[in-house]
Amino acid sequence: MTIYQPDLVTVVDVIDETPDTRSLRLEFQDEATREAFGFHSGQFGEYSVFGAGEATFCIASPPTRPGAIECCFKLVGKVTTALREVDIGDTIGFRGPYGNWFPVDEWRGKDVVFVAGGIGLAPVRCVIWNILDRRDEFGDLTIVYGARTVQDLVYKRELQEWQARDDVTTVVTVDPGGETPEWEGRVGFVPTVLAEVAPSAANAVAVICGPPVMIKFSFPVLEKLGFADDAVYTTLEMRMKCGVGKCGRCNIGSVYVCKDGPVFTAAQLKKLPAEY
Amino acid sequence: MSDERHADELYLTEESLTRLVDELLTAGTEVIAPAVTGSCASPAAIASAACLRPGAAPELIEYAALHDASQMALGRGLPNLSLKGFFLPQEEALVSWRRRGTGLELRGPRVDAPSRIALGVKPCDAAALEIVDKVMNWDTKDELWNGRREATTVFTLACPVEDESCFCAAVGGTPDGTRGADGLFTPVEGGYMVQATTDKGRAFIDSHLAAHAGEPAQSDSLRRQAAGFRSAARERIAGHLAIDGPAIRDWVAANFDDPLLTSLGIRCNGCGACTSVCPTCHCFDIVDEPDGVSCGTRRRCWDTCQTGRFTSHASGHNPREDQNVRFRQRINHKFAIYPLRFGEILCTGCGRCTRVCHAGQDLVEILSEIDDAARRGRPAVTADSDGGGEG
Amino acid sequence: MKELQELARTLLADGEVELVIGWEEGRRGARPAFITSPDDADRLIFDARCVHNLATYLSPRRPQVTRLGKLALVVKGCDVKAVAGLLREEQLSSDRLVLIGVRCGGVFEEPALKDPAQPTSETVAPRCYGCDNREPARVAYLLGEPQPEPPMPATTIDDRVAMLDALSPDERWQFWTDQFSKCVRCYACRQVCPLCVCEQCIADKTMPQWIETASHPRGNLAWNLIRALHLAGRCVGCGECERFCPVDIPLSLLNRKVQQIVEERFDYVVSDDPERPAPIGDYRPDDQEEFIK
Repeated sequence: MTIYQPDLVTVVDVIDETPDTRSLRLEFQDEATREAFGFHSGQFGEYSVFGAGEATFCIASPPTRPGAIECCFKLVGKVTTALREVDIGDTIGFRGPYGNWFPVDEWRGKDVVFVAGGIGLAPVRCVIWNILDRRDEFGDLTIVYGARTVQDLVYKRELQEWQARDDVTTVVTVDPGGETPEWEGRVGFVPTVLAEVAPSAANAVAVICGPPVMIKFSFPVLEKLGFADDAVYTTLEMRMKCGVGKCGRCNIGSVYVCKDGPVFTAAQLKKLPAEY
Repeated sequence: MSDERHADELYLTEESLTRLVDELLTAGTEVIAPAVTGSCASPAAIASAACLRPGAAPELIEYAALHDASQMALGRGLPNLSLKGFFLPQEEALVSWRRRGTGLELRGPRVDAPSRIALGVKPCDAAALEIVDKVMNWDTKDELWNGRREATTVFTLACPVEDESCFCAAVGGTPDGTRGADGLFTPVEGGYMVQATTDKGRAFIDSHLAAHAGEPAQSDSLRRQAAGFRSAARERIAGHLAIDGPAIRDWVAANFDDPLLTSLGIRCNGCGACTSVCPTCHCFDIVDEPDGVSCGTRRRCWDTCQTGRFTSHASGHNPREDQNVRFRQRINHKFAIYPLRFGEILCTGCGRCTRVCHAGQDLVEILSEIDDAARRGRPAVTADSDGGGEG
Repeated sequence: MKELQELARTLLADGEVELVIGWEEGRRGARPAFITSPDDADRLIFDARCVHNLATYLSPRRPQVTRLGKLALVVKGCDVKAVAGLLREEQLSSDRLVLIGVRCGGVFEEPALKDPAQPTSETVAPRCYGCDNREPARVAYLLGEPQPEPPMPATTIDDRVAMLDALSPDERWQFWTDQFSKCVRCYACRQVCPLCVCEQCIADKTMPQWIETASHPRGNLAWNLIRALHLAGRCVGCGECERFCPVDIPLSLLNRKVQQIVEERFDYVVSDDPERPAPIGDYRPDDQEEFIK
């Protein structure tokens, strides 16, 4: 068996997040693999539908809840179209975990601010649950999450669950024009809302993931709030194939995103050529 | 350079080499060597306009798994493609699947390859193997590559230096090199002087080659002849190109947006022929090929950073939209990224990319320009120049 | 040559154009030149080594050239047909472009020869035989002396196509499958073709995946046939695909055969007239079908 041969996983749950976004819950078929499998928040995998190919997504479930893994994907290409066809009980392939991770253990005792947009909540959600499952080890938690419209918000049930908890501040927003008459949350772009929420940067780190334009405008807001570049973490989306630093596709500057990333600090990103 | 390291050379006549290869083939051992794969004598001659000219007799030389020893064409020029396809094939199966009811069965390829021997390999092609070993073995190990590497005993053939596009010496190689190989052949009158440089090479000589080797009366003079061939080639290549590899590495890494680097690719058509013929370009794609609805094969195949498809996301976003930045990536990967990451220049100076480029992109010229900029520590040309016209 | 350099210098100095694309002397023979400063105009050359069809640089797929601004392109008569093809298919607007025509009596097969003499029957590019456009029309400037007819090569492309036609279908099938088996799927043929202008090539489409990516016989056959068919009635016969092919697949023979069929069936020969519609493969931005884009 080579490094390119996936493990077989069974789809045990299918959850429609939005009209074009879906979560899958996957269980390793091989018992020994299921027992032995471990990963860190932020790592990714290659998910495959045999006949369509492999696609790269982060593992969206937290390592604190072993037994099954979850991924969340948007319908964009050939593989995601095929993934949408799979149903509970079907077999797909998984290779991973690959890449580096958010240094969650180093953040013990610190405040953590989560900033996410659209489907970018998936990798952040992995960290959120990881930290909520070890809540005592961390300081204040703030989540600022937004999507284009109410319909485009992913993990809607969990957003309500987080909003109902008193040990985490959860602010959910939709872009202007994306609200419905029933919408009770905020209306405004994520960077603007982030500036309004204004979480303290003292002894804090930020985790940010979302569309490039959201990231671009959120960085200056975080900077203004006092977050140092090496206290801001993000995860890069890059076209990948092998996931193990061989195929050359995700190479930017001297970095192989699949090995040196996908998690980077803002400080590291600023040193990279803008080829992502 | 002293030729003491060649003191235990054996003499192998052309006829003995043919017998040795025949013996290996009869025993079922795969023998890879430069061979004439197409010539004006073949039925495919209609294909070649050159063949139809009066008196024309061009040959096409490729590395091939020999059917018989007569195909062998050692020392008759640089094979069109490098040796890499024998280690990273143009396409190969990674896994095949078959549906059984609701379940699925996967089958991977064999990773242990039967022993084989490669003869007459250009030193630049052998060196590439050792350089690419690095990326195939950092952290995770590519079993398919490694399996073929372990199974193959490689003998280089000292190269006379093909033409003005060769520059192995500028990137740490030498025309009589054995890097990535297990021994060296040097052409002499009537045959070759042969020497092993690794245990694997010595084992091959002891078990197969030694029986065919002779100890002719004139062995001293043959040794001198071989040494003369090698030193002449080294002198020849020394005049081709001299660059400061570490300076280029640091300059390219630090000056990513320099107009020199973004203007180098202006006449590049993005055809990817350079990456196909390159012994060190190793980027690949992974594709699924269904065979009906219930089974199929996942394959990897050569890919090229010179097409837009290489980096385009499913969303349509492409971080390298233009050809000039794709060309920069090729230079950057070979002369900065790989050296920084693996301590090796991802180029052995074989010159194939220059020869195959019909748009006139010339790596010797390009490296000279970057070297010039690196040594001076500032851009060599302005944004609106194309960076050409050295001659 | 002086005339060409002088004209380029003037066009650049007067701000008439920002870029002149022509040929220059490279280390390995003639090669494309991109001249943006009047001071560099004397790098330009024209002789029988200037084989490249520079119209390929006009493709809308080349933003790094487009970005440089209005340009003058040095063209041989055959190259003008490719420019006409781009104009015909509305891939190019003529106000972006000044054509500098050069009279041509045939080019070599390869640009590498050191001595730029007149081509002989041994050295001439076979495609030059029977050239119907030695003196390019539809250009803003026409330079050079009138040229003689290019010499006849020992074997013309039509001769070779006839040789293939004379084979039995099985032999011919074997011939082409052997040729395509060499293909490494680098797509050099597509990249250099002045008429391969699709925003997304069918070979790059994945939904559905029309052509298998791996370079095995099945995928190679599909790619090479589709490439040839997409150029039916469009191919100008410049032979750049064959010249760029790193494994020497004789694509000219395939292209020529297809054009022979187009000529027979539609009485159509690719010309330098952008107004003359093509029998098939015509394209309009207002086409009602989405897939065509």
